[in-house]
Amino acid sequence: MFPGVSGFEWSVAHVIFLGAFFTVLVVILASLTAAAIRYLRAWRERRAAAIRWHAEFEELPPAERLCRHALTGTAPGRLCERGFDCRTCAEHPAFAAREAQGLVAVPNGIDHSPDRFYHRGHAWVEPQADGTVLVGMDELAERLAGPAATVELPPPGAVLDTHSIAWQVQREGAVARVLAPIAGRVEETGSREQGWLLRIRPEGKLDLRHLLHGPEVAAWFQSELERLQGLLAPAAVGPTLADGGLLVDDLPTAQPEADWDHIYSAMFLRP
Amino acid sequence: MADMAVSRFPEPAVLDKGWIPRGVSRCSTAQFLGWLSPWVALLLLGLYAGWMCLRDGLYHTNMDHRFVFGLWIFLDLAIIALGAGAFFSGFLFYILRWHEMGAVIRSAVVLGFLCYSGAVVVLMVDVGQPLRAWFTFWHPNTHSMLAEVTFCITCYLIVLSIEYLPLVLKNRKLSQIPSFLVFEFQLHKVMPVLAGVGTFLSFFHQGSLGGLFGVMYGRPFAYREGFGIWPATFFLFILSAIAAGPAFLMLTTWLTEKISGHRLVRGSVYRLMARTSGVLLTAYVFFKCVDTVIWLNSTSQQAGFRPWEFYAWAPFGSWVLFLEIVVLGLLPALILLRASEEGPRRWLLCGAALACAGIVVNRLVFTIQTLALPTLPFDEFRTYLPNWVEVATFLGVVAYAVIVYSLSFRYLTLFPQEKELARATARGPQQEEIHVSGR
Amino acid sequence: MAAQAKIPTPPPQKQRRYGMVIDLDRCTGCGACMTACAVENNVPSGPPEADERKGINLMRVFTVRERNSRRTAFIPILCMQCGDRTPCETVCPQQAVEVDPLTGIVEQMPQRCLGCRYCMAACPYQARTFNWWDPAWPAGMETTLNPGVAPRMRGVVEKCDLCHSRLHAAEDRAAAEGRRDLNPGEYVPACVEACPTQAIVFGDLADKASEVSRLAAQPESFRWLERLGTGPKVYYRTRRRWVRDLARQGGAAPNQEVTRG
Repeated sequence: MFPGVSGFEWSVAHVIFLGAFFTVLVVILASLTAAAIRYLRAWRERRAAAIRWHAEFEELPPAERLCRHALTGTAPGRLCERGFDCRTCAEHPAFAAREAQGLVAVPNGIDHSPDRFYHRGHAWVEPQADGTVLVGMDELAERLAGPAATVELPPPGAVLDTHSIAWQVQREGAVARVLAPIAGRVEETGSREQGWLLRIRPEGKLDLRHLLHGPEVAAWFQSELERLQGLLAPAAVGPTLADGGLLVDDLPTAQPEADWDHIYSAMFLRP
Repeated sequence: MADMAVSRFPEPAVLDKGWIPRGVSRCSTAQFLGWLSPWVALLLLGLYAGWMCLRDGLYHTNMDHRFVFGLWIFLDLAIIALGAGAFFSGFLFYILRWHEMGAVIRSAVVLGFLCYSGAVVVLMVDVGQPLRAWFTFWHPNTHSMLAEVTFCITCYLIVLSIEYLPLVLKNRKLSQIPSFLVFEFQLHKVMPVLAGVGTFLSFFHQGSLGGLFGVMYGRPFAYREGFGIWPATFFLFILSAIAAGPAFLMLTTWLTEKISGHRLVRGSVYRLMARTSGVLLTAYVFFKCVDTVIWLNSTSQQAGFRPWEFYAWAPFGSWVLFLEIVVLGLLPALILLRASEEGPRRWLLCGAALACAGIVVNRLVFTIQTLALPTLPFDEFRTYLPNWVEVATFLGVVAYAVIVYSLSFRYLTLFPQEKELARATARGPQQEEIHVSGR
Repeated sequence: MAAQAKIPTPPPQKQRRYGMVIDLDRCTGCGACMTACAVENNVPSGPPEADERKGINLMRVFTVRERNSRRTAFIPILCMQCGDRTPCETVCPQQAVEVDPLTGIVEQMPQRCLGCRYCMAACPYQARTFNWWDPAWPAGMETTLNPGVAPRMRGVVEKCDLCHSRLHAAEDRAAAEGRRDLNPGEYVPACVEACPTQAIVFGDLADKASEVSRLAAQPESFRWLERLGTGPKVYYRTRRRWVRDLARQGGAAPNQEVTRG
């Protein structure tokens, strides 16, 4: 195997054979080392949350990765490739400009406020005058959780990344983890009764282009209701959801047979 | 096959639910343990038989000075050929970028890992002095095909383990550990390089396994002429292995679908694999015919052997040649090609099963028939049957493969399309293909 | 090839090609050669189930009877010391087989053998055997072992090396007398010595003057499976045409009936 070992000789066959073997070993080791170095670098740069979101986003089924402009009908069937971060998307401004005229909100029984910016994981952001933002769960999330659920919030001072897990909603038999809509430091915690959950001081300049806003929110809620309908369908024994009827306040109690662990994971984008 | 992504009735008591991927349903823990228990029993029996050989010596087997390669080598060759699906689908997916193969690539990696590791375990029982296995690395004879096989299989097993690792780290519970997730992500980035290395290694050792027999100029039944240092069997083994690989993947995927009761991949994936396998098998049958004609009319006659001598002994008459080339070669190739265009799935699977059987018969011919035929003019024809120790050891390896594959199927995401297909089925068949357009 | 200039040779010795000619007309099939071989090489008798399929025989005597005829021939088969393209040497993955460039003897190194048995499959003469059992001798019999030959362990392949230990002993004696080369007849394997009819003639085929060279060149002499091109150094000779005809065939002809000695 090496010069000096019995059986080694400087013949062409020997050199080619062992050369190929050592090359393969070096390539395997180099790949592993590259992975290890990248791993350490990612760890040092605190990119764990970003990587988690990236990996989980890849796992989402296509139906859950539809572009926001596909929901409004501007770009039918288009899938998001950027982890729902429209700030880095080249096509987003053009679609948004086209939608600025003519998009009409469709009423669908879910309350939403024009002051708020909505994340695809059912958290909203409401900018405040003092430069902080309020963050909370939207109407659909509240009903998915039901009044009996308890919410576990991060302590003040915690730093959140966009799409990292912000808080956890727990009810019997199922846990929903809700993604942070923006990055920043938690300044204050609220409660469900107060109508907001976290007061966050955003990192850097406030940029909310990746969040849903304006008339598209209604279109998104409409598609979310349809998605929920699909998830509940096999188990649905009571009245269906979106037949113009109002959504019940406490969905888990109304549909106890459904697999809530699965529904939470699908609706809160956690594969 | 009632399939429900979301259970209609209260969940069965699934104790390990937190480990099972979201969006798919799996049987209850009790049912799963029930499925595993006979395999565990078989594994224990195999371990006992293998241990007997390691402790006392290989006299426990029915091999002898003539049948130095028995059931073990024959089946090792067969499962390594069938496990070629792993490297070949990796090649198609990562190098040629056939994205559709992504539906089965993970399963192929697990199967490849199991086939190769199982074969290596059996080999370690099969050699007389397993603790000396490292001698091959220390004093390699570079003219020996077996040295090439040893080097390539060892390296490829390392590559397969590295390819398997991300699948394990992606488990629902394990990926909660941030460092695992980050490492998995970075490992995934280097995967095309490893797939390339794996392709190179597999290509060579599948060929070298054929070369093992083709270079034996002392055995005119196996000896073949070739190109440079490689006999014709070198190329035929590669071609047959990459033809059988996708066929074996089709069979295992279908079996997993039947046993688990879930749809796992789209029909189009089956058809793609069938077409790939069919085209390669057709090429293989063609070259095998050319090789057989040259061998019978020239190569073996130069060594002083006439064709009828090889087939004069029952049970290995010339029907073996017909079976191998026509019934289990040409026929499945035509079935696969035809059925991949149109036709029901059972024809696809029938073609795949015949193709796999053909490869197994080919490996049987090269190991057992080669050794059964006499070379000295006054020597006799011998037959060989494995005894229970050999059978049990091998079944132990099969049990190991079934157990690890079952665990992987239950706790890892082997078939990325399963979740979507489950939802589509739950919604109704008419919506099934709706997501395809988004791809 | 792989085995070149391995053994350091301070005093250059004469290049030899040891081989033998076995006269089949003299062989009576008595099996003395087999016994002498087993005794010389410390071959254990093995347990009762060590039959002809699994027991160790570095030398075997085949009995060939022609069907519908009373003609019989005894054919001793041992390692043919293939010299041109040694089939076992090229296949061994870890260089446990070497053709000694000085003597032409194909040497098996049991201490390096993995026991993969590929060499056994590659050998057209099936002259190689595998140790299926741990070597064991009946109590007391170990005192009769040949001290010059190491017993082989379980799980390795062994074969005839033309009583290599006798070659070493002869070379040592010659060196003690200040001679570099051996005299003819100074080194003979055990089977040659034991044959009661002197059917085996052993010597240096490279020495054109030797008797073995002279006999090997005669028209009655032949080698088995010559057309495989492996260059065996064990020749056979017989005046009986039907036995010589056998050698012209390739594989077994089903009209022969075979029993083994």
